[in-house]
Amino acid sequence: MSATGTCEYQPKDYKSDLKPIWCPGCGDFSVVQGIYRALAAIGRPPHEIAFVSGIGCSSRIPGYTTAYGFNSVHGRALPIAQGIKMANPDLTVLAAGGDGDGFSIGGGHIAHLIRRNMDITYIVMDNQIYGLTKGQLSPTSQKGRVTCTSRYGSMEEPVNPLLYVLAYGAGFVAQASPTDLAGMAATIEEAIRYPGFAFVNVQSPCVTYGEEAQQIKGLKSISESLASMGHNPADRLAAMDLAQQYGQKMHLGVFYRNPEPPPTYGDLVKERQALLSKDAQPKERILDLFIKK
Amino acid sequence: MRKDLVFGMAGSGGDGIVSAGDSLLQAAAAEGYHGVMTKSFGSQIRGGESSCRVRISTTPVLNPGGNLDVAVALNWDDFLKFGAELPVSGTTVVIYEAATNIPEDQIPLVGVTPLQVIAVPIAGMAKETAGTERAKNTVVLGLIAGWFGIGAVAVMKGIRKKLAKKGEELVEANQRAFDAGRAFALAHPLKASMNIVASETKGNVKLITDGNDMSAAAAIFAGCQFFGGYPITPSTEVMQFFTDHVWRYGGSVLQAEDEIAGIGAAVGASFAGKKSMTATSGPGLSLKSEMMGLASIAELPLVIIDVQRGGPSTGLPTKTEQSDLFAAAFSAHGDVIRPVLAPTSVADTFRTTIEAFNIAEYYQTPVIVLSDQEIAARKETLDPIDTSQFKIIDRLRPTGAELQGYTRFKQTENHISPISHPGMLGGTYLASGIEHSESGAPTNSGSVHQRMSDKRTKKFDPLKNRKDLFEITGNPDAPLAMVAWGSVAGICREALAMAQAEGMNVKLLVPYLLYPVAEGVYNDFFASVQKGLIIDQTHLAQTFKLLRMHIDLPKGVQPLSRSGANPFLPGDIVAALHHLLSELQRSHEGELQPQE
Repeated sequence: MSATGTCEYQPKDYKSDLKPIWCPGCGDFSVVQGIYRALAAIGRPPHEIAFVSGIGCSSRIPGYTTAYGFNSVHGRALPIAQGIKMANPDLTVLAAGGDGDGFSIGGGHIAHLIRRNMDITYIVMDNQIYGLTKGQLSPTSQKGRVTCTSRYGSMEEPVNPLLYVLAYGAGFVAQASPTDLAGMAATIEEAIRYPGFAFVNVQSPCVTYGEEAQQIKGLKSISESLASMGHNPADRLAAMDLAQQYGQKMHLGVFYRNPEPPPTYGDLVKERQALLSKDAQPKERILDLFIKK
Repeated sequence: MRKDLVFGMAGSGGDGIVSAGDSLLQAAAAEGYHGVMTKSFGSQIRGGESSCRVRISTTPVLNPGGNLDVAVALNWDDFLKFGAELPVSGTTVVIYEAATNIPEDQIPLVGVTPLQVIAVPIAGMAKETAGTERAKNTVVLGLIAGWFGIGAVAVMKGIRKKLAKKGEELVEANQRAFDAGRAFALAHPLKASMNIVASETKGNVKLITDGNDMSAAAAIFAGCQFFGGYPITPSTEVMQFFTDHVWRYGGSVLQAEDEIAGIGAAVGASFAGKKSMTATSGPGLSLKSEMMGLASIAELPLVIIDVQRGGPSTGLPTKTEQSDLFAAAFSAHGDVIRPVLAPTSVADTFRTTIEAFNIAEYYQTPVIVLSDQEIAARKETLDPIDTSQFKIIDRLRPTGAELQGYTRFKQTENHISPISHPGMLGGTYLASGIEHSESGAPTNSGSVHQRMSDKRTKKFDPLKNRKDLFEITGNPDAPLAMVAWGSVAGICREALAMAQAEGMNVKLLVPYLLYPVAEGVYNDFFASVQKGLIIDQTHLAQTFKLLRMHIDLPKGVQPLSRSGANPFLPGDIVAALHHLLSELQRSHEGELQPQE
């Protein structure tokens, strides 16, 4: 961590000069605002942050920050983020993308990041639709949803992102939405501060291809704050119960925070390096390993 | 007396034939000989057939050798499964298990009469002396010591060390089995002695390792700090070596959930400023191709070792082939140049891997090292390598002044831009797979795309002038030529020596850099050539076709290609050269005496 104080940075210090490609009114504008605020509250200088994404409307987001950004390939933000974190554990590493990027083409990676518990924060902008390719069915689209690739309605159940990550044992699981920007900023801040893998699902409406019920007004009508409900975020089973209502209710706040965070992957790597470096030969002599006497 | 002996042994999985080969190679090294050992298996996990070839010589060994001098068959079914991998000729001594109950004049080898055939009660001697048939491999080592003069002392010294922890009783049982084998051999001398001459370099330090371990050690030496990968035969040992050793050097390894995540993590580590790599084989190379494209457009250094096996798809997963050449040069869509290097032996895998890192770092590009199953899995004895002769190159970092208003993809004279990494103040930028301007800003502009494509391809021009990445041997003005790379190069080096000994005027080009194709080097090489062979272990003659894409090859140059598990013998290549030479002579005669 740098020695910088918490008041040194303002949200605007994390905003880049690139103009977002998003449609006017897109929920992702609020998400990037929430990220600026969270980063300013934490106060880490932008050059000590690596922000990785895949492909999709929302995956453009690293470019709109002043952090080191990596807008990579579809579905692979998490492997790249893990390589960055392993190569330089001192960085703050964020990953972000859409529901298709995270739960369809890249869906296989989440489970493994969770079981490795690397200290990475993953923000999914969940809009239940493929926006960049103009309105196809996504892994979180409701069954029956009509899109240009499901003219007669989807025949598949949606993925439940919250239950998915809770089931694999994520240490920090939360949900946010542009319906409450201050709450979103606070949730993202808490996620970044959590020492281990943290997941934030953001219900971010698609104004162009989203249905009426998924717009701000519709989301507000099904929204409920977990804190005001008296939910105990240390209770994983209660969190899983609440997460079952994904799609019907929009619970905002922290579903689960492991009260006793286990060592991160980075901690274990450091431990192993320290243990083994004691008997390290200089690398110039690595071929001595092959000497047969 | 012999200066060079090639042993080929086969048995079923539990017979310990490969472990016998290991012992033989180590004993030979201890006695000062040079050696190469290759292994070949069926694709069963346990059991099934297994075999090894061990070549022992008083001079450095270029390849696993041609026809066997000595064939050992613990049973014929398994031996025969290896076909051309264990070729028996009229100069081979065949030793086989007497308990197979096959008379010496009826062994199931078709169309060949070996020099001598000897049935030995191997299992019986093992049972009698060691109390178990499991000592069969030690009996074989005793036979070899007795008949060929290798390892009379050193073999048991090695076995003693290996079994020390398992108790004196087991060591003694093995000693008895070994002695029995040796006594049998001494009591039944060969018709013509095949003892190997004593080595003059006895007592010199030798290294023994295989290509996979060598490439991993070279990577660590080159400063590689991160490995991301996924297990796949026959490249897995590269990752295993990293998991054993890289922590000591402050690095780390990720055994990822799949091939894509493995290379993805390596791309991430490179973005974060560390030298990084992955290793894979055929199907994994296909899966990794999207990430290789990303690393090319984001101009990130990365080394990918592809240990080739027979393809496509699962193909022949335990046998060598060179058929990933096209995939290495051309996979990943779009207009891209990605350097491809290939080692020709375990020894030069060290240099080639270091070179791959240097090229990756200097040019900010992914680089593929095309190893193959034979080099990766074969063990070689090596003389110690002076590591101080190797220069290590690191990527060009921005200076303090360049970090004021930093431009990641700045146009420069050599098209290489200083590269920052997270943590570096003033260096923040957006890396991306989308086309981008010099500053890293995403764009759809045709003119920017053309400009940046130019930058990303022209930067490799100097690489094509790296003559040190090509080896030319033989008479430089020869009209007859060969081109070969990878494990096939070692066979052609020996073929060259044989052809020259027969008085042929011939030369050999061995490229360590396969792609981009260095037109100048080939054009110079082919200037004197009228007839030639482009030799590779592929079905489609991929090397010939790749060269023809870039070079106007002389008309008389043709491919000599075979698919995997059908190895070339040096003699096959000499025969092909003879054929070309007679064509050449005929055409010359035709010139002198024009037909009416």
